[in-house]
Amino acid sequence: MTVLTTPASAVRLARQGRPIGEHIFRITLLSSLIIALGFLAMLLIYVVQEGWPRLDSTLWESMPSIRRPETAGVQSGIFGTLWIIGLTALMALPTGVLAAVYLEEYADKTKWYNKLIELNISNLAAVPSIVYGILGLGIIARWLDFGFTVMTGAITVSLLVLPIVIISAREAIRAVPPSIREGSLALGATQWQTIYRQVLPSAIPGIATGSILALSRAIGEAAPFLMLGAATLVRFNPEGVWSSFTVLPLQIYSFISQSREEFHILASAAIVVLLAILLLMNSVAIWLRNRFQKRW
Amino acid sequence: MPNLAVRGTEAPKNAEALDPVFTVSGLSVFYGDYEAVRGVDMNIGNREITAMIGPSGCGKSTVLRCFNRMNDLIPGARAVGKIAYHGEDLYGAHVDPIEVRRRIGMVFQKPNPFPKSIYDNIAYGPRVNGMKGKMDDVVEEALTKAALWDEVKDKIKQNALSLSGGQQQRLCIARAIAVKPEVILMDEPCSALDPIATTKIEDLMQELTREYTIVIVTHNMQQAARVSDRTAFFTAEVDEAGVRHGRLVEFDETSRIFTNPSDKRTEDYITGRFG
Ligand SMILES: Nc1ncnc2c1ncn2[C@@H]1O[C@H](COP(=O)(O)OP(=O)(O)OP(=O)(O)O)[C@@H](O)[C@H]1O
Ligand SMILES: [Mg+2]
Repeated sequence: MTVLTTPASAVRLARQGRPIGEHIFRITLLSSLIIALGFLAMLLIYVVQEGWPRLDSTLWESMPSIRRPETAGVQSGIFGTLWIIGLTALMALPTGVLAAVYLEEYADKTKWYNKLIELNISNLAAVPSIVYGILGLGIIARWLDFGFTVMTGAITVSLLVLPIVIISAREAIRAVPPSIREGSLALGATQWQTIYRQVLPSAIPGIATGSILALSRAIGEAAPFLMLGAATLVRFNPEGVWSSFTVLPLQIYSFISQSREEFHILASAAIVVLLAILLLMNSVAIWLRNRFQKRW
Repeated sequence: MPNLAVRGTEAPKNAEALDPVFTVSGLSVFYGDYEAVRGVDMNIGNREITAMIGPSGCGKSTVLRCFNRMNDLIPGARAVGKIAYHGEDLYGAHVDPIEVRRRIGMVFQKPNPFPKSIYDNIAYGPRVNGMKGKMDDVVEEALTKAALWDEVKDKIKQNALSLSGGQQQRLCIARAIAVKPEVILMDEPCSALDPIATTKIEDLMQELTREYTIVIVTHNMQQAARVSDRTAFFTAEVDEAGVRHGRLVEFDETSRIFTNPSDKRTEDYITGRFG
């Protein structure tokens, strides 16, 4: 029967059956993803469920209280967090971007001091945040005598995120094709004009997303503030940079260490608020990236 | 006026251009310790098209980039010898490379429009150079000279990256023209383009020689023969120490290079027996 004789070419193209290794590999990849997402989903569900009774407007309308958890809120924590992040952004972003511009566009990479700087920035990004807390306490709060104020907190957190901002800004600047710089310089533009008018505008989406992710990391930090010896129960919003303050993670921490169940509910509700702020910032990052992405 | 039809039938020019824009003597270019190009002597004639040809890696781009000091931007690159621009040492202590690049424009192998509008691409050069005058007119003039105006006049605010490759390259030429340079250097400007776009750019070069001096690097022998007044043939040679250096083998009127070269290596190259 002719039907049964397959031509040689068809044999070569026919499905041979995947080797078993291929299957195992795919299953491993998939299960890693499921484990990661699964844990995240569990956490979210747990926190929302737990905090649900307290997810109302009193949460952000009232101040924390140690005696009346049923009506206590986290307004001072929300405002403290916003103050810290705002001031950190003002200090760390320009500094970080300018440092990245220096390293990418001006530094002679063969010089030992530039290599040293580079190496140290990568190292600093890996330093645990509590170490920055010690630094903040010793130098900024005590030696400079800034006390436990918004300023001290913001400087400490700025130092914490600065290496991450520098690294991500460098990546973004490096991604701008050299042909853009050449094109600009060949027209008689100066190096600064080239950076300011071509390189930075093209690098903005990358810089913005990297910076927002760095700031998001800072939002969740409690360790450096603990180290600074922060007050956990602050019943007023910061009025300026020299005001004392608390931040959300610290408030959550203090609620959880209380024994009454109502405080645990309050803590979960506060975690939901913190997550909402994080989610908002990350969506801004994604929006910025999609909105301004450049293709060459 | 040089134009395609009469090229080569003109009264023969002197082998040495009169009133040269560039006088190159004993030019060697180093990348770190490596001497990429050794001992180049050539003159670039005013309002002529000079073509540089030769096998890959023989230093054509390297020499071209010395003419507007673009090599300064490569760490470790340095030029030894002399390049005079209208008699003035291009590498003299008082020379500002920014000013050099303003007067001596460059078009690159791969079109590199800025990720901005067509208008802003053209206006960028005049703006950074603080040039006065009505920008709309400057833009229109540059695009017209680059034979692009009719194609883009209705979408001048569109992103330049939406243009075709050939249009992008003409935009880059227009961008170079907009700062009113005296010389335009082109490094394989047509290598990424189809034959029709190439023809357009070749016609454009002919047109531009009314006002500009052009130096072009090309791998396309027919292109060199079609458009240029003079041709420089470079090749790479191995010296006694076993190191490869780019050398200028022969520099002459294009018609002579392609019909009656005086060096055997030139003849081999243009007849395709080499490289
Ligand atoms: N930035 C650089 N650093 C070090 N060496 C370089 C650099 N650019 C070029 N060279 C070397 O200089 C020599 C000449 O290079 P160049 O680019 O000038 O050649 P070319 O004639 O333009 O070649 P092609 O036709 O392939 O473009 C080559 O050996 C190359 O390796
Ligand atoms: Mg080249």
